[in-house]
Amino acid sequence: MSIINEISENLQKGKAKLVKEQVQTAIDEGVASKDILSALLDGMNVIGEKFKNNEVYVPEVLVAARAMNMGMQVLKPLLASDGVQAKGKVCIGTVQGDLHDIGKNLVKMMLEGKGLEVIDLGTDVSPEAFVNAAIENDCQIICCSALLTTTMGVMGDVVKAAEDAGIRDKVKIMIGGAPVSEEFCRMIGADCYTSDAASAADAAVELCK
Amino acid sequence: MTNRERALNLLHYKPVDRLPAVHFGYWEELLYEWAKQGKIPKSLAENWRQSNEADAELDKLIGWDFNWACAIEPKHKLLPQFEKKVLEVLPNGERRIINNEGIIERVKPGKTSIPSEDDYTLKDRAAFEELYLPKMQFTPDRVSAEFFEKYNDMEKYDRPRGISIGSVLGDIRSMTSVLGMSYLMYDEDEDLLADIIDAYADMQYKCIEAVLNTGVKFDFAHYWEDICFKNGPLVAPDKFEELCAKHYKKRNDLCHKHGIDIISLDCDGVVEQLLPVWFENGVNTMFPIEVGVWGDQFEPARKRFGKGMLGVGGMDKRVLREDKAAVDAEIERMKRLASLGGFIPCPDHLLMPGTKFELVQYYADEIKKIKP
Repeated sequence: MSIINEISENLQKGKAKLVKEQVQTAIDEGVASKDILSALLDGMNVIGEKFKNNEVYVPEVLVAARAMNMGMQVLKPLLASDGVQAKGKVCIGTVQGDLHDIGKNLVKMMLEGKGLEVIDLGTDVSPEAFVNAAIENDCQIICCSALLTTTMGVMGDVVKAAEDAGIRDKVKIMIGGAPVSEEFCRMIGADCYTSDAASAADAAVELCK
Repeated sequence: MTNRERALNLLHYKPVDRLPAVHFGYWEELLYEWAKQGKIPKSLAENWRQSNEADAELDKLIGWDFNWACAIEPKHKLLPQFEKKVLEVLPNGERRIINNEGIIERVKPGKTSIPSEDDYTLKDRAAFEELYLPKMQFTPDRVSAEFFEKYNDMEKYDRPRGISIGSVLGDIRSMTSVLGMSYLMYDEDEDLLADIIDAYADMQYKCIEAVLNTGVKFDFAHYWEDICFKNGPLVAPDKFEELCAKHYKKRNDLCHKHGIDIISLDCDGVVEQLLPVWFENGVNTMFPIEVGVWGDQFEPARKRFGKGMLGVGGMDKRVLREDKAAVDAEIERMKRLASLGGFIPCPDHLLMPGTKFELVQYYADEIKKIKP
């Protein structure tokens, strides 16, 4: 098996230390950084598809994402110097009043697994903070997460804040979380709702095109 | 008919005079909201805990018959627990704390919802053996005089008598965090995770055995797990079976031996994929069946497992923030589910801020008018 395939396979198994070592080995062997990146992204893609199909579960996604992150730690400096660009830029956070972050982190991992650059704003993020981050970082997408029925309304405030700031035509707003639905997405005027993290990443890639 | 008879008859497919008005408690913020609106005395908001005296007082004010979360608990958790303390006050007012299970989490004053997990203590075998294993030993003081006082207190309340029989994986997740559990399970040390589960389960089994061997009698046993979310389980069902099934079987066999034939399990989220492991190993009552937020359902489970599968819950609590028409529609749905037998309607989780006091009273009154 080639080192590229091994990286992808071990990422899918969540073997973080091994992936990090193999990424270094691939670099040392002169494999192009974009090919190593493809191996990492392919591995995450496989995990994402399996997650959507209930073939793997949250733990497998978390360990695969950690393996990807460890591989990326080694690879990132090379990507920059080789001029490899992210497929898009997204800022993500859990909305104001809500401290839950497992869902938000899952989506973040999946977005990174699709080759998107993600600015993580953390939890309890105000509508203004979402909008400011989108402006400062020139993001194409704002991703809002909420677990509580009492906080999901803040997502509507984010849409309004984006309108007030005059960036609504430049930025797409994606929403997700337990109480959120397609109907709610339409009601508040957001652009996209997905029911799981892997689908969110697929949708984000499309929105960045 | 007493509430106790009514509930037990329903879960044994026997006739009842009417449905009971059963609930699952409240988020604290709601009780303070109601106190501010003058609906309840502030003291009830301050003193409310699941199934305590304040809860019983609220039952009277609202018209509930009883709270299903009324199982009494021997000391079957970490003993002593980690000392909960604030490690840091963050600039935004959040507190970074270590909780009773050794998780480092961020909490916001005034919010009682699930906190955000920052870090955890139980990362390796050394932490397990030095910090956790000593807290997982069975000692006779876990089944204390205080427990039997609570048992005797159950006489005061007209509701089924339940014993909490712990948690096989939910409590472990509370010690390792979802992240830590995942890393142990797939990358770091699955044997360690199995050892943690086994040690904890062994202690809990011995606690329950010690209680039941005294001859005290219960109507139902109750687990807490919370190991599912919106899209299903937080762990692969085959792993769950491999690590946990034997403990459910052993514990449930013990309950059966002592005449307890209703074994309920509290798990939020969409539980469908874990139901076979639970049902085949003796758990027979789903609770709280989160139909509203998560879209969980009781009917498919009944179709799949037959009449042996019982349910408590399944009422979309969100309608209690709307209006009478929404409540009426939900009551109609409850009527249909109750006609299946072996099912007790109950709001599908704690009532949340924004819930209208009068609508809760209305629901409780109306549900009691139904004869299934």
